[in-house]
Amino acid sequence: MTTRSMTEPGPPPGAPAAAGSALAERPEPAGRFRRPGLPAGLQLAALIAITAVAVLFRFRDLGAVGFNSDEAVYTGTGASLAGNESMRALFPIFRAHPLLLQLAVSFTEHGRITDWAPRAIAASAGVAAVLATYGLGRKLYGPSAGLIAAGLLAVMPYHVVVSRQVLLDGPMALLSLLALYCVIRYAETAALSWMLATGAALGATALCKETSLILLGGLYAFFALTPTVRIRLRHVLAGLVTLLVVLIAFPLSLAASGRANTGQHYLLWQLFRRANHGLFFYFQQVPPALGWLVLAFGIGGLLWLRRENTWRERLLLCWVLVPIAFFTVWPVKGYQYLLPLAPVAAILAGRTIWRIGSTPLLRGRRLFAVGGPLLLALLVAGTLAAGSWPKLTNHGSTLAGTGGVAGGREAGRWVAGHVPADATLLTIGPSMANILQFYGERRSYALSVSPSPGGRNPAYVPIPNPDLSIRQGQFQYLVWDAYTARRTPSFARKMTDLVNRFHGIAVFTATSRTGSTSFATVVIYQVRQR
Amino acid sequence: MNRRLPLLLLFALAAFGLVLPTGPAAAAQVTPRTPIQHFLFLLQGDRSFDNYFGSYPGVDGLAAASCQQQAPGKSGGCIEPFPLHGRTVPPLGATPATIAKQYDGGKLDGFVSALQSVGLDGTKAMGYYDQRDLPAYWRAASQYVLFDRFFSATRDGVRSNREYWVAATDTRAAGQQPLTIFDRLQAAGIQWKFYVQNYRPVTGPVTPRPAIGKRTGAGQGASNTQSAAVPLLNYLRFTTDPALRSHIVDLGQYYQDLQDGTLPAVAYFATSGSSERSSRSISEGQSLVTSLTGQLMLSRYWSSSAFLLSYDGTGGFYDHVAPPQVDSYGLGLRVPALLISSYARRGLVDGSTLDYSSALAFIEYNWRLAPLASRDRRAGVLLASPDRQADTLLPAFDFTAPPRPAELIAGGSPAAPPGKLRSSQIVYVSYGFAIAVVLATVGFAFARGRIRRPGQPAGTRLPISAQRIGADSG
Repeated sequence: MTTRSMTEPGPPPGAPAAAGSALAERPEPAGRFRRPGLPAGLQLAALIAITAVAVLFRFRDLGAVGFNSDEAVYTGTGASLAGNESMRALFPIFRAHPLLLQLAVSFTEHGRITDWAPRAIAASAGVAAVLATYGLGRKLYGPSAGLIAAGLLAVMPYHVVVSRQVLLDGPMALLSLLALYCVIRYAETAALSWMLATGAALGATALCKETSLILLGGLYAFFALTPTVRIRLRHVLAGLVTLLVVLIAFPLSLAASGRANTGQHYLLWQLFRRANHGLFFYFQQVPPALGWLVLAFGIGGLLWLRRENTWRERLLLCWVLVPIAFFTVWPVKGYQYLLPLAPVAAILAGRTIWRIGSTPLLRGRRLFAVGGPLLLALLVAGTLAAGSWPKLTNHGSTLAGTGGVAGGREAGRWVAGHVPADATLLTIGPSMANILQFYGERRSYALSVSPSPGGRNPAYVPIPNPDLSIRQGQFQYLVWDAYTARRTPSFARKMTDLVNRFHGIAVFTATSRTGSTSFATVVIYQVRQR
Repeated sequence: MNRRLPLLLLFALAAFGLVLPTGPAAAAQVTPRTPIQHFLFLLQGDRSFDNYFGSYPGVDGLAAASCQQQAPGKSGGCIEPFPLHGRTVPPLGATPATIAKQYDGGKLDGFVSALQSVGLDGTKAMGYYDQRDLPAYWRAASQYVLFDRFFSATRDGVRSNREYWVAATDTRAAGQQPLTIFDRLQAAGIQWKFYVQNYRPVTGPVTPRPAIGKRTGAGQGASNTQSAAVPLLNYLRFTTDPALRSHIVDLGQYYQDLQDGTLPAVAYFATSGSSERSSRSISEGQSLVTSLTGQLMLSRYWSSSAFLLSYDGTGGFYDHVAPPQVDSYGLGLRVPALLISSYARRGLVDGSTLDYSSALAFIEYNWRLAPLASRDRRAGVLLASPDRQADTLLPAFDFTAPPRPAELIAGGSPAAPPGKLRSSQIVYVSYGFAIAVVLATVGFAFARGRIRRPGQPAGTRLPISAQRIGADSG
């Protein structure tokens, strides 16, 4: 039986860098060896299986839970872009973020508006990120490490949960992988074309979500800390110009539409808004979502293989540490903001797990050298999958970005079917208002939106005197929801007061069940001003 | 045995009568001729058509207005209509005598001078409101039906017009208590109610009608203002007979009836603080109408109801259309009128010549009741003749179409919605260009990367491969 090459040839120690490489001459670490890999056919089969698992984890019960606030806004914006007049009245196209994802969503919203198709776009980006992780891992550490990394990402709770939602972060993470790949190729070749590609890919990443520009800081740190990777100033400038040429679409479309102030207001609000989470939010939320074992193997591998660490590991570390540091200090935090960290963590863990097969204990026997790491990878992936699987339909969390809002879709659909077209609703917070606007196609405002311009998202309209507004007949329905009530008890109490004062009659109640206990998740009250 | 038979029959009939359904069930025996199963009529006060809708597009409005001469001795020439937006205007204080001078035998040339002649500011009579002041009403006009030839019944003041409102006649001069539409409904077993804002129940005779607004005392808690707004309170039977008296209820009961499913077939509304007689109460009036119609729209009754809003006189405000003379008392000057219903034609400006008796005739036609007086009888004749229904309420309805979904008349959102995009094409073009740049740049890099460099032997790897420590084959 013949197989294709299963050994890493490896150049001789101390081999000089090839002509044109960005890498300066440096001695190669000693101790390289040949080791077996997976047969090509098996690699392909494994990749197909991993892709299938990624698809399963991202598409199963994709529509089981209704949209959360961000999903409603992005999909509503997509529908506005597609020309849906009722959505355009409710979801202005220019709110805060760039529009690359919304643009993709708009192609699904030309006919009947659904919540499955936009999520399918995000989920597809998630599957593509798994494949890109394989490609990147293969590029850095070989196909088997790439497969392990892809397998881990395929079932990683952090990536699964976020990429099942219509959020900007999933596609952003995918494009950041492309940018990272281009950087690696530039480091290898010092070719201007790869620096231009890096700039373009980073521009596209920022067109998904502008905060990804912080990755530039990671690149700066990498090039500054890695003298072995030569970089030419003209290449840097050319890359930046390419980035700007791509990114210009965002301010250009704002300016051409007369909404240039929108982005400025949003930036100012983000700069000066009150912190929404504590300093250690990410250290509490992200590690369990990445998987403790993944982190242990990733970080442990960096320590264990420190003598083998090269510019590649430094690049990966800079790529994630700068955003971690930035978003830790930045007052506005979101569960999904660090998603680009996930593929890197998977790659580093994949590298370590596969490298375990090269330890003296295992490398003597081919079965152990290959089977041992694969078994370990399956074990780690199993723990990740056990964490991800229940989250596919669970929506009990009150943490934004972790899933849908219980009862929101049901309430919105009731509104669409039972509430007059011009009726206006008042909710406790803007999250439920966005959801009801999307599903119910009725204008909704939120009690908790601050009247102070500095204290609110510029996209939201405050209700300075809700009592007066109701008395003037501007609101016909008040909406209480458990999700927001848990987050803002004081405004929930205020809502209850208004319901009592204006003779609220419960006309719709969405319930959820925990064990044998059923509880209300959304209650819509019809009110009258007299 | 034979002697007992009539008694038994009488007992059986009485028992049958006791178990006979009354109220709503009895009303069900009278099937309405139209899909309108609930007719609601609110009469507000002291506004002319030109005062509220003279500048509304497509109506017989202020475009045909004339400049009104001032009283002799007043400087400044004649007074043109002018917007009242932002001004506080107290009630003009026009009495029937002033209205008669304004009418001036049909010449309609005394709107300013008549008021000035009694020492009042007559120029205000030429003021008018527009969409800025009446957002809910103008919105209602654009969504439902606005009548631009709806006249008050007489030029003889509020009380007279309100008598016509319920009885199609004014019998006060004769000292009589007229038959009202509610007597007809009661006799037919059709449910009705008279909803009164801030109602103070009356349980006995009231002091007969002094001039409106002069609180000289009233019987059993009924103020003169209340008895002027609710003409039934001037008729002894409606304050002493519990069967009739129980139908006159506070306005709050309306909302309860909507909620409980007990909305009567015919309902009249009378207001106090929200009557719109002063400029300060205009917003209150709109708020009330928004609430009344809004709650109706949100209820189960929307698809079977019609809500008519009109006014009990002009209050001295200018209107340029001379009313037709149908008898020695009227008609009175033109007043605003809106019909809000799921069957109302959208945005129709209805030019039918109508007055309160047109509404009474519609009720009588719909529930097959006999007319009350000559005016509603005439209107009823028109209703009954398919080829003569032009000057009735029927053309305002479209009963051939299914009931429309409700459209609230609330006066707009709390704040202006965020601005609209000029064109989403800008986004598609700019982002499309960006994507093209990315594809071209990355594609070019990949393509160059695959091209073997001169002098580079096949299979030669760059140092990146050299550094894949412990990696398998790539």
